[in-house]
Amino acid sequence: MAFYFTGIRSFLKLWKSNPYLGVGPGHAYLSLFLKDYYGIRNHRWFSLKPMSPQNTKAMNLLIAKARYGRKRDEGSNKKVSADSPHLFAAGAAKKRSEMNPQSKDHSLPPVRNIIQLPTKPLNSEEWNKLKEDFKGKTNFENWIILQMVKCHSSIDVAKSVLAWVAANNNGVVGYNLLVKYLYLCVFHKETAEIIDVYEIMKARYKRLESGGYTLLIRGLMHTDRWREALLLLEDLKKVIIPSKMNYNDCILGALLHQDVNVAWKLYQELLGHDIVPMLETLKAFFDFGKGVKDDEYLNKLQDILLYLRNNQLYPGESFAHSIKTWFESIPGEQWKGHFTTIQQSGQCLGCGKTVESICLSSEEYEFLKERIMKDVIDGGDLYRKTTPQELKRFQNFIKYCPPFDIVIDGLNVAKMFPEARESQVLVDVVSQLAKQNLKVLVLGRKHMLMQNSRWRKDDMEKVQKQASCFFADNISEDDPFLLYATLHSGNHCKFITKDLMRDHKACLPDAKTQRLFFKWQQGHQLAIISRHPGSRITFQRILSYDTVVQTTGDSWHIPHDEDLVERYSYEVPTKWLCLHRKT
Amino acid sequence: MSVSITFLRPFTRVLVPFTLHRKRRVLYIRILQRYMSSKIPTVSNPSKESMSPSEQLELDGWKITMKSSVQEEGISTFSSSKDEDPLAATRELIEMWRLLGKEVPEHISEEELKTIMECVSKSSKKKYLKYLYIREKMKKAKQIKKEMKVAAKEQVNKDQLPETTKEDKQQNFLFLRLWDRRMDIAMGWKGTQAMQFGQPLVFDMAYDDCMKPKELQNAVSQLLESEGWNRRDVDPFHIYFCNLKTDGAYHRELVKRYGDKWNKLLLTATEKSHVDLFPKDSIIYLTADSPNVMTTFRHDKIYIVGSFVDKNMQPGASLAKAKRLKLATECLPLDKYLQWDTGTKNLTLDQMIRILLCLKNSGSWEEALKFVPRRKHTGYLEISQHSQDFVNRLKKSKTFSSFPRGSVNRRSQKN
Repeated sequence: MAFYFTGIRSFLKLWKSNPYLGVGPGHAYLSLFLKDYYGIRNHRWFSLKPMSPQNTKAMNLLIAKARYGRKRDEGSNKKVSADSPHLFAAGAAKKRSEMNPQSKDHSLPPVRNIIQLPTKPLNSEEWNKLKEDFKGKTNFENWIILQMVKCHSSIDVAKSVLAWVAANNNGVVGYNLLVKYLYLCVFHKETAEIIDVYEIMKARYKRLESGGYTLLIRGLMHTDRWREALLLLEDLKKVIIPSKMNYNDCILGALLHQDVNVAWKLYQELLGHDIVPMLETLKAFFDFGKGVKDDEYLNKLQDILLYLRNNQLYPGESFAHSIKTWFESIPGEQWKGHFTTIQQSGQCLGCGKTVESICLSSEEYEFLKERIMKDVIDGGDLYRKTTPQELKRFQNFIKYCPPFDIVIDGLNVAKMFPEARESQVLVDVVSQLAKQNLKVLVLGRKHMLMQNSRWRKDDMEKVQKQASCFFADNISEDDPFLLYATLHSGNHCKFITKDLMRDHKACLPDAKTQRLFFKWQQGHQLAIISRHPGSRITFQRILSYDTVVQTTGDSWHIPHDEDLVERYSYEVPTKWLCLHRKT
Repeated sequence: MSVSITFLRPFTRVLVPFTLHRKRRVLYIRILQRYMSSKIPTVSNPSKESMSPSEQLELDGWKITMKSSVQEEGISTFSSSKDEDPLAATRELIEMWRLLGKEVPEHISEEELKTIMECVSKSSKKKYLKYLYIREKMKKAKQIKKEMKVAAKEQVNKDQLPETTKEDKQQNFLFLRLWDRRMDIAMGWKGTQAMQFGQPLVFDMAYDDCMKPKELQNAVSQLLESEGWNRRDVDPFHIYFCNLKTDGAYHRELVKRYGDKWNKLLLTATEKSHVDLFPKDSIIYLTADSPNVMTTFRHDKIYIVGSFVDKNMQPGASLAKAKRLKLATECLPLDKYLQWDTGTKNLTLDQMIRILLCLKNSGSWEEALKFVPRRKHTGYLEISQHSQDFVNRLKKSKTFSSFPRGSVNRRSQKN
């Protein structure tokens, strides 16, 4: 069992949520060429300057594995420190992971590069000579232009390669070289060159593939011939659904050329394909909106904000600034914006208003309860997680008990301190809660009742005296019962576990229900952050407010990501943009 | 590299193809002229920086040839005609991807194209294309190998023809060369014996709803393999295919693979469930999710293996089946004997049957677990009482130290 640990830790590292935000426009295209790249990456003569992202990840995994033995010793003494941010706050997971010293420094292997990339255009004689020096598996032309793409060489150098290839090859340049050259042109924003390549491709090929189209669209959008890019988009649509980046480029181009209608039409089309738009696209609408005095446009921008709300998306820092400037530029409405944080009580530090509560509405609550029963506990086959008999027993038990205040995941709490006896820890926690006159339910498994060195019978009797208990079969899962018992008891009921419940969240059918679950979880989960067995238990505070884009008509509160903080997908931002209208 | 010394070489490079392809002469002359015009000034001013204007001129030359060469070949333009067939468009897209060096097949049939069009997402399209690409590559490699073999054989025949005819006459043999057929017959005899007196081994085929077509095909391949291993054994099991619906997906695939042989197989295929055929208390359902560890192979029990390839992450499917019918479950003692490294503890069906056959022929666990793939574990564990205790203590004290219990549990159950 102990061996799965490294797996989980390093996976955490891979699950970061920085989709397109941090990545510059160039990097996304690199995937176009990754296939070629693989061919040479392992070659011993050439090691490349930029490490590929896959490679470093693989290295991290390996290193994590190698240091695994050491980590186990150190890890046992480390606890989450008391002043750590909220469990779901942006950056908290990163901080938690940094507490393990193993994940810090691993230097990249030394970099060697046998062939220096030329910085000036070479003539064909020099290229021939360079080719003789090359000993790779792939063909030289492909390789050299791929390196140029990666190092963003100037297009003159790339052009000299193409000229040389053309001279050797009947005046014909292969499609893959042409596309990579086009990439360089687009990267350096050489409009004339882009149009030249566009003409060549138009002449030579009846139809291109997605990578070529993407580059051409991106290149042409900034020229006077931007309408042709829209035709290219149409061509692309015939075979595959265009990516969000294609739409982004087209919308950006349309806005650049003041054609708002086309931009909105494309935006609607994008939503119609169920694609989540890039935040850049949305930001562009706001940036463009600054000069526009138009009620319809204003409504549409508010629709975008509502879209962010419904899909629980958070704008980035620069996007938040765009929103702020746009609001402040609305003529006649005197909006004022601040960047603030929200107090623990849920009051905005900027305007003092209380933001929305984390509590679910009653129909949302009923809906979630039903889904948990249907998808998490049953899940199509009741026997997977429990048995019908056990479920019946559980439901009867719940029915005849008064609503609880606190539901405890017995095993999770008991295993909190490895150096203390499990049953002792559980007794401590339960008795402390019972002293506060709370009605407590402890969920566990039947093996906890068996007398052994870790589970003492007298301890368990004490627990049963102070709290109601339900013990599931040893091969059943207890977490679904925990969720259901908490939901059944009502809105005031909380549950105690350190488990982030991601696997149960994943059982829910669609993203909307999952967000509902996450919202409920943020409002009802208590995580214990005490450091020593026996000390007074302290809980991670519960957020009283919901972190989501929200409005009251004359004010907006918009949470946003900071550029320098890494937020994991199950965390929420802590910084807010507060906008209100002066009256 | 000095320009003045090496300047003649481009000429030779260009001149050689020039003599070979007479048709392209026009093009070459054009390029050659461009070379001449661009190279001549470089002699007069050998410093590299100053040749940029002329160099610039030459750099754009390929574009003209690219555009003009097309007109000669007569390829039509980039048409975006509306009435175009989407199939043809997809075919062109794939062709362009191939030019770009992506992993797509060179030849593609109409049906495959339709399958691609039916794929819901872009990534599923790419996955399917990659599958076709790899299949095509393997086919080609096999073809080449075959041709090479034929050629080598011909070579050998040609060399040895005179001598072999001489030697053949005077040899005495005890047997005719009919080994394969003899072996088949012998295995058939053993099979019939197993049908009468052999220990039952059940493959539970009730999982056809849980699997995608691809997984089902893999499962059938594994079944074929298992049956083969069983047939060759000294003391084969009597194999049962239980819950096999006639004309179900499983049945169809099996009949397709076995062909005529299907009705002559020495095993029992039945639509009935294993609980109808055997007493419930002698059944043991083998599943990696089971909490009980198999300690010994019992010759009086009926072991059930779920014929289920699970690529879709449905942990606990077979355990749920056993729970529903209230059957005893067991899992192989992999952790006890092996230093597990990576991979799931679900083994393939043929590995399972080989392990079971080995155990049955009174092999030890070490012997039987040889069939666990080597990549999954780092070696055998030295089992002494001391180390066992140590491992147990480690598990108890450390595993749950700083991590959410739920996630740890889930991982271990999955495996």
